[in-house]
Amino acid sequence: MKNSILLARSNLRTAKGQAAAIIVLILLASLMLNLWLMLSMDYRQNFDRYHDKLNAEHVTLTVDSGSSEMREFLAKTLKKDERTAAYSLEDSMHTVGLFTYNGGEVNSEFVFLEKEAALSRPVGTVEIVEDSRIQSGIYMPMLYQSDDIAIGKTVELSLGSKKISYQVCGFFNSVMAGSHNCTMCEFLLTEDQYEKLKASDYAPESTLCSVRLKDKMESENYEAKLKNTMSAQYPALRTVSNSYALVSQSRYISQLICAGIMSAMAFFILLIALVVIASNIVHYIQENMKNLGALKAVGYTSQQLVLSLLMQFLGVSLTAALAGIGISYTLFPSLNEMMIAQTGIPYETRFLPAAFFLTLAILGSAVALAVWLSSRSIRNVEPITALRQGVRTHSFKRNHIPLGKTNMPLHLALSMKTTFSGIKHNLTVCITMLVLSLVVVFSGLMTENMIRDTAPFINLIVGETADSCINVKAQAEQDFVRKMKDDDQVKKLYLYDSIEVRHAGGLGLMAMICDDFAKANNQELVFEGRFPKYDNEIAIAAKYAKEQKLHIGEEITITANGKKASYLISGFTQISNNLGKDCLLTRAGYERLGELQNPSYYLNLTSGTDIDEFNARVKQEMAGAVNTTINIDATVSGGVVVYVSLMKIIVIGVLMLSAIIIAFVLYLLVRTMLGSKKRDYGILKAIGFTTRQLILQTALSFMPAVTLSTAVGLTVCSFIINPLTALFLSSIGIVKSTFLVPVGFIIIAGIGLILFAFATACLLSLKIRKITPKALLAGE
Amino acid sequence: MKHVLLKTDGLSKSFSSGGALQHVLKNIDLELYEGDFTVIMGASGAGKSTLLYALSGMDTPTLGIITFGGTVISSLNQDSLALFRRKHCGFVFQQIYLIDGMSVMDNVLSAGLLLCSDKKALLEKAGKLFEAVKLPPETQNKFPTQISGGEAQRAGIVRALINQPEILFADEPTGALNSKTGLDVLGTLTAFNQQGQSVVMVTHDMRSALRGNRILYLKDGVILGECHLGVYTPDDTARHETLAAFLSEMGW
Repeated sequence: MKNSILLARSNLRTAKGQAAAIIVLILLASLMLNLWLMLSMDYRQNFDRYHDKLNAEHVTLTVDSGSSEMREFLAKTLKKDERTAAYSLEDSMHTVGLFTYNGGEVNSEFVFLEKEAALSRPVGTVEIVEDSRIQSGIYMPMLYQSDDIAIGKTVELSLGSKKISYQVCGFFNSVMAGSHNCTMCEFLLTEDQYEKLKASDYAPESTLCSVRLKDKMESENYEAKLKNTMSAQYPALRTVSNSYALVSQSRYISQLICAGIMSAMAFFILLIALVVIASNIVHYIQENMKNLGALKAVGYTSQQLVLSLLMQFLGVSLTAALAGIGISYTLFPSLNEMMIAQTGIPYETRFLPAAFFLTLAILGSAVALAVWLSSRSIRNVEPITALRQGVRTHSFKRNHIPLGKTNMPLHLALSMKTTFSGIKHNLTVCITMLVLSLVVVFSGLMTENMIRDTAPFINLIVGETADSCINVKAQAEQDFVRKMKDDDQVKKLYLYDSIEVRHAGGLGLMAMICDDFAKANNQELVFEGRFPKYDNEIAIAAKYAKEQKLHIGEEITITANGKKASYLISGFTQISNNLGKDCLLTRAGYERLGELQNPSYYLNLTSGTDIDEFNARVKQEMAGAVNTTINIDATVSGGVVVYVSLMKIIVIGVLMLSAIIIAFVLYLLVRTMLGSKKRDYGILKAIGFTTRQLILQTALSFMPAVTLSTAVGLTVCSFIINPLTALFLSSIGIVKSTFLVPVGFIIIAGIGLILFAFATACLLSLKIRKITPKALLAGE
Repeated sequence: MKHVLLKTDGLSKSFSSGGALQHVLKNIDLELYEGDFTVIMGASGAGKSTLLYALSGMDTPTLGIITFGGTVISSLNQDSLALFRRKHCGFVFQQIYLIDGMSVMDNVLSAGLLLCSDKKALLEKAGKLFEAVKLPPETQNKFPTQISGGEAQRAGIVRALINQPEILFADEPTGALNSKTGLDVLGTLTAFNQQGQSVVMVTHDMRSALRGNRILYLKDGVILGECHLGVYTPDDTARHETLAAFLSEMGW
């Protein structure tokens, strides 16, 4: 053991540069790995911690009534269900509303609670995270704390057709209703403001019901059953609900994206590091055959020699991994800040022993395996043979590119000779470039579909969008439609509403209702089969269909408003908004279950029309007919901005990381090549080759592997990136991704990647300047 | 009157070793002539190889000027020196230094193609040279590690001559060879010299030195003396005696 340690130290001393490059690769891998494990093992669990800390509910239901009779029925229903552990019913006010945030609009179901009552709820309590001495005003969910929404500042809420302003007193955290991602969003009002709102007719009185279950896994079923029971009993009352399953997923989409990318990058970098280590060991054995033979001759066993390599690489790798883990803890707060902008749940960075040891274990075992597999050939080194052969262990069997026969220019031909003689180097380059091709295609895909043009991402995540959404009173619908059709600023008008229905024998589904789906802007909503056309057709979410083993052409029964009707499945949809629990019905189809109350219309406006001004005009001109207007564009932009910012950082980060990886892999390869070909370079210089020619030859020798693997990688990745994206987003209901693959970007990025690799190889080959023919003759 | 190929004025070369400056070549004035077979002799450490490196543009002098055909090569940068070597010099090394990863023919062509783009003419020229050094055609496609030391050195001579250099520099060309193959190599060099090829050879072997027509004796960095032997003929005892007397005079 002691001898092996001495050998390992000696090897390290002679290969400082190689150790440094491997340190960088392992450091990056461990950094990514630890960040991924922190996000996967603890970050998501933070939701449960907060959930428990605030004794939060697993099912939330808001019923637009404060009547004691309704509450009695509700309480009886809750008590009757054996799955109920505890519940709390609270006076509240509920309405659809919006406010400006992050340059966009937050549009949600607003639930107003009196502050003190909210703080003293036995189930579903909230915690004040920032308070002030302001006596009258509003407490906002902490997610919305920003430059414009801060203590002392005024926030304006649009409630239906009314506007109301409050001074911000502080911020609170609510696990199940602290974000627009929760279906409903709570606001706490001071007692005076609560009473003032109650006295107005801005928001109807409601009952907020928070139910804690014995088994949280039952949340979706429980929610569906409860809502169905209430709808059946009180069909006229509007209800809004959410479940633990929905909220815990929807508040952590950015965590899901980030963790997925981190893990992919971590394993890609680790793979590259392992290939580099294996390639270095194979090269080390070739170049040190004489020394290895000498060591064996004086009594070292193969095991000791392998052990020395194992200790050398494990020592370097684990040291780098420790540093990487350390750096990951310094970077995590920034990442956390970005995540909180979407989750809205505070997370305190803390040391995670499990992630720490798992990172070390994964890296350590991967490196040990790579060292062991690549150093096994030491066992075949026979002392006498090794000593005789010395450093020249290459067996040249084939003369690649004979200079007398090839038509290639001399320098290209000599480069190709080097290429063909270094298959292991080429393999390392190929694996690196294939991995980086995927990174480039991913970056291109995200840049095109999420950063440059957000529409494809919005279509995939949000489903249907338009410029404006106007909710009208049922009795004024015909008049509204007629006026809108005559309005010069309206390009397209179609009914697009959402109402919760229930699949008989299954779960609650959000039904998107449209008078004619051919008018919908997102024609890719149905990715298999077709949109429903007739009143007996339905398109359902692919994720839900898969879970329920439903197929196109099958018949399913839907219930709503105490009625049931059967529909033929005409197609599969994918909308992540409801995490894969939705369906599409035509208006006629829905009306088999009941009349549409206060329908919502989507409008596309003519180019140049100011959406807010248009909405305000319609509201003013049709005051009696319009309930609410929504600037969809602004609402979606406000919600998407977090993801876009996150993706920008990720794209820049992964591209920079790719550049670093190429540089380090090429550094290792060029360094190894210069070491093994020092004699050849000396000879070539002696017979008249210039430094520039040799640098060019060296850099060119990497280019076939770089170019071929980049071209193959980019082509293959362009085809698999959409299925990969769909797989990655499958947990939020995405089954098929139809993002536009930006061929132009990918070609330019591919050329950039190749040129960057060439320039880097040239720069790294500058060391050839130091090789002199005189040194060769002097035997240096 | 012989034509001067290469000329040095006050050529000096110093190395720093352990903080102390070592003057290996001291103020050497020398002229090398076209068609000569110049042999540089001397004891170990006399500066023979250093002088050869400096003359051939493999190394730059510390002081002094080296002129080749009107061009001062001592002030050229490394790349210009490489171009100079490519165009005007050929090298035969003691350790042969063929590139292991290339066939014998490719070793020759890699040098030849640097100057000549007419591959057909080059292959023809290489064929003639291979024939002249008596290297069989099947050897040309072998790798250096697959042929004998003598064959490799003869291949090295072909590589050195493929660009028809004005001067062929040979550094102990028989040093790594056995007696028989050493003689073959010397015979080859002599034959080329007798066809007009200028040769500068470093050796400490008297038998090799006999091939030269001009012998320079180097001691402690200065040319102590020179001796002219005339055209080489085999079994010339007078030539042997003249050289022996010269070397004895030089303290050999």
